[in-house]
Amino acid sequence: MLLFRGNDWIKGLSPEEKQKVTDQWMTWFRRLTDEGKAVAGNPLEREGKIVSGKNRVISDGPFAESKEAIGGYFLLDVASMDEAVAIAQQCPGLPYGVRVEVRPVAPECPVATELKREAEFATA
Amino acid sequence: MNTQDQNGYMLLYRSDEWYNRLSREELQKLMNENSAWMQRLTAQGKARPGRALERRGAFVSGKDGRFVTDGPFAESKEAIGGYLLVDVETLDEAIALAQSIPSLAYGGSIEVRPVAEECPLEARACELAREEQFATV
Repeated sequence: MLLFRGNDWIKGLSPEEKQKVTDQWMTWFRRLTDEGKAVAGNPLEREGKIVSGKNRVISDGPFAESKEAIGGYFLLDVASMDEAVAIAQQCPGLPYGVRVEVRPVAPECPVATELKREAEFATA
Repeated sequence: MNTQDQNGYMLLYRSDEWYNRLSREELQKLMNENSAWMQRLTAQGKARPGRALERRGAFVSGKDGRFVTDGPFAESKEAIGGYLLVDVETLDEAIALAQSIPSLAYGGSIEVRPVAEECPLEARACELAREEQFATV
């Protein structure tokens, strides 16, 4: 999974630059889709909420102009981390300060994995 | 704020590896609660694909992606541990769903984000194009 981080980089760009990056980004996604390497992808709105803790407190997130905020994601179907990183390196937002987080999708929920590990430990 | 959204919402699970601190009984209880929660969501037709992410990976940044660095993905409370797409119509509904996530009792937080109709970049470019059009009329 590629997570695109940074929502503030677009501010300083001229309309032409914005259009250029947008076109590049769309072309990139279409190419990856055609190659069968991208299976899903979506931009996220610059708004939202955070729900946290036992008391399920709702708070606002810094989604609009944050370097860390996630602006969108691609779900890739590639065989290795190296291949995913190589694709991330093609991101058109990189020259403008976007950071791409590259994360392997887990085969199952980590709670299930932990439970199995403890069960193995118990029977060992 | 426009809270109507046809594209659904993304729930991002943020936490450190809190489940390493649970006993086997607690883990089992949470697993059961989790699957009941997912089954209910699926029965209501609200669940769309979701996956857990491994606690490793890389950050790519800089021109041509020249910088490739490691996490932290395990110990950071802000790290994303997984995501779930949900098919609900309003942000309030998505928040209510997030509040009912069983694992919140043990820690972590859920980021609730509307999925965009189109790329905000593209939306902004269209907006500017329209403005220019008006300016020349």
